Amino acid sequence: MISVSPKTILDSTTKIDLNNMSAEQKALDIKNLDLYYGDKQALQDITMSIPKGQVTAFIGPSGCGKSTLLRCINRMNDLVDHCRIEGEINLHGENIYNKHVDVAALRRKVGMVFQRPNPFPKSIYENVVYGLRIMGENNRRVLDEAVETALKSAALWNEVKDRLHDSALGLSGGQQQRLVIARAIAIKPEVLLLDEPTSALDPISTLTIEELINDLKKQFTVVIVTHNMQQAARVSDQTAFMYMGELIEYSDTNTLFTTPVKKKTEDYITGRYG
Amino acid sequence: MNKWFKSGSPWIWLSAGGVSLSLISVLGLLWLIASRGLSYFWPAQVHQFELMDNQGNASTVIGEIYDRESIPSQQLVHLNLDLDPSEETVERLLIKTGNRELVSLDFRWILVPEITQQSTPEKLVVVERRTNGNFYGFIEAVIQDGKSVSIDTLPSLLTRVLELQDKIETLQKVEIGAINYQLERLRLRERKHKLQETLTLDRAQDIANEVAILQAKYQVLEKRLLALRDETARDQIKLRAMDDQIVTVSFADILKVTNNNQMNSFEKLMMFFSQIAVFVSDDPREANTEGGVFPAIFGTVLMVLLMTVIVSPMGVIAAIYLHEYAGNNALTKLLRIAVINLAGVPSIVYGVFGLGFFVYMVGGSLDQIFYPETLPSPTFGTPGVMWSAITLAILTLPVVIVSTEEGLSRIPAAMRHGSLALGATKVETLWRIILPIASPAIMTGIILAIARAAGEVAPLMLVGVVKMAPNLPLDGNFPFLHLDRKFMHLGFHIYDVGFQSPNVEAARPLVYATALLLVTIIISLNMTAVSIRNKLREKYRMLEH
Repeated sequence: MISVSPKTILDSTTKIDLNNMSAEQKALDIKNLDLYYGDKQALQDITMSIPKGQVTAFIGPSGCGKSTLLRCINRMNDLVDHCRIEGEINLHGENIYNKHVDVAALRRKVGMVFQRPNPFPKSIYENVVYGLRIMGENNRRVLDEAVETALKSAALWNEVKDRLHDSALGLSGGQQQRLVIARAIAIKPEVLLLDEPTSALDPISTLTIEELINDLKKQFTVVIVTHNMQQAARVSDQTAFMYMGELIEYSDTNTLFTTPVKKKTEDYITGRYG
Repeated sequence: MNKWFKSGSPWIWLSAGGVSLSLISVLGLLWLIASRGLSYFWPAQVHQFELMDNQGNASTVIGEIYDRESIPSQQLVHLNLDLDPSEETVERLLIKTGNRELVSLDFRWILVPEITQQSTPEKLVVVERRTNGNFYGFIEAVIQDGKSVSIDTLPSLLTRVLELQDKIETLQKVEIGAINYQLERLRLRERKHKLQETLTLDRAQDIANEVAILQAKYQVLEKRLLALRDETARDQIKLRAMDDQIVTVSFADILKVTNNNQMNSFEKLMMFFSQIAVFVSDDPREANTEGGVFPAIFGTVLMVLLMTVIVSPMGVIAAIYLHEYAGNNALTKLLRIAVINLAGVPSIVYGVFGLGFFVYMVGGSLDQIFYPETLPSPTFGTPGVMWSAITLAILTLPVVIVSTEEGLSRIPAAMRHGSLALGATKVETLWRIILPIASPAIMTGIILAIARAAGEVAPLMLVGVVKMAPNLPLDGNFPFLHLDRKFMHLGFHIYDVGFQSPNVEAARPLVYATALLLVTIIISLNMTAVSIRNKLREKYRMLEH
């Protein structure tokens, strides 16, 4: 059985009713989302609302579609050939799959961190300001400030403040992943998507990143995909369990891990498959 | 034995053998052209041979030993020589005798058995001249202003003349050259106005005035030139040739007087280096068989650089389109195959295409649109350095495209995704992330392109290379870089000197020396590109995941 650490941070004292949220509480509203890779359907009729300022975790066995769903949120699936999406994902009440949506602008609002750290072969400083430079910000003072803020938020500032202009490739794996998080939050997104951010890291780096996620939700809505249930239990406020492209169960983390409603969920969290 | 095969050693030996074989051939080739080429610059001993033929006629031959070979005695039977019948072969020497104005050929073979005496007299001098090649002989007298003076004054007299010659050259090339260039432009301006029927009286008057001013200037310069020429002809030197003829040579004609037989090794070494310096910095003389090859070096390097400037952006843009934007379909595959096959087209075909399309069609049209005043003499409608660079750029385009595409496909998808996820568009990702990371691969393509282009001669013969170009494509007259001009090229120079010159024997060492120079230039261009690539590689080295 999985031990669930008590949630210490529950600043929004009143529990959110996931099925009945007000518009202000919603960060993202996913409605009847279907996704096909060619003829194969990878996501089936997903409907869920992700609350603002909280950490939502997607769990499930490999190939269940949790990463695919995450990539839908900032339209990274657009890069996949033969990928077709039906349904809507609403951000501020607007469907991000509308024709006239500027994908680049969307991705500035919905940042993403990948499984493996992927810093650019540039200096630490240039990595962090990359998104700002894309937006046309070239004022040295603004950039300096953004670097410091972002690196502090990503708990990396103290380690790299003396070598900001060294290559980012010289950092360790855990540092690189925090740098990538700093790079994502430097452009101040509303939602931060983390796609198994610790799967390529050692336990100590993992711990650092998990602590970081707890801090990040004060500023951003965080959506995290993880195959590690303990991690989901430790860092998230809500958890969604997915299986074979379907959303099986979605509730607050404590409920899901202690008193799951569905049989499949229980089987999974008790380790009977996956 | 079976075990030995299974251990893999035979394959190791085989591959190592392949590597050594290529290494040996490269080093052997370099050694051959280096030794033959460099010996051209080494000051040779000048020998004096006393000969006695079978009729009892004695003669004297003075010169440098160029070659030595054995021939079968049978070949010489018709000469009725008094040879030792037991010997099957006879040795003969090729002697460079110089003195072209006295004898019809400045090379001759002598048979070793005919030599009665061989010496290297210290008084023998080699006089390097502007015309008629070297003169070998003894100094009889030095004449300054009509009066005989001591031989010791020769160096100072020579220095004086060489300084005067320098002045003459600058006067001719820079000052008179500029005036001629301006006169030509005035003539073209007048013609242009005539063609457009805008030649008003005022304009005609202006042009006439300018022409008059320039012509007045020209008169002054010409007078100075003639005066200088007279100055150089003031002194003479009297030389005695091998057949005791006395020849008077004007100092105006002399480049260098050396006493090869008196030199010690250090002096020879100094002369060796100064000869190399002259070779790389001087203009050619005597139908390219003497003097230096500077215009050819300049033309080669300029053409290759122009080619690089043209081919790099074209190849990179084409590769980006093929890899990033073109759909993954049959048409793209066909395009890719076409690009690869372009690399297999014989280079002369590119030459013909360049001549037909670029020179005659594009160049001809350019002339009609922009340079009607010079017609019928063409400006761009004739082979020139620009068309050569463009033709070679097309020839090397496949190399750049293929290696750039390879570099693009090696970039991990995580890099693109990382950039796109930060709100960059595809173009921004290309510019800021993909191209910098692919730059080492692009440089590899450019290196291969340079290596191929610098050694290519055949297409250039059709689109711009000439045996002798009167002007460099770069000079002090506006617009400084004259892309319409024809140019000289080291590869073509080798061909021309080796196979087209009137004196093939004399030219052979020059062929090796020029080949050595061409190889050196290609290697140094390549090394520059390789070091740039290594710097880029170091900068964009990916972490091994």
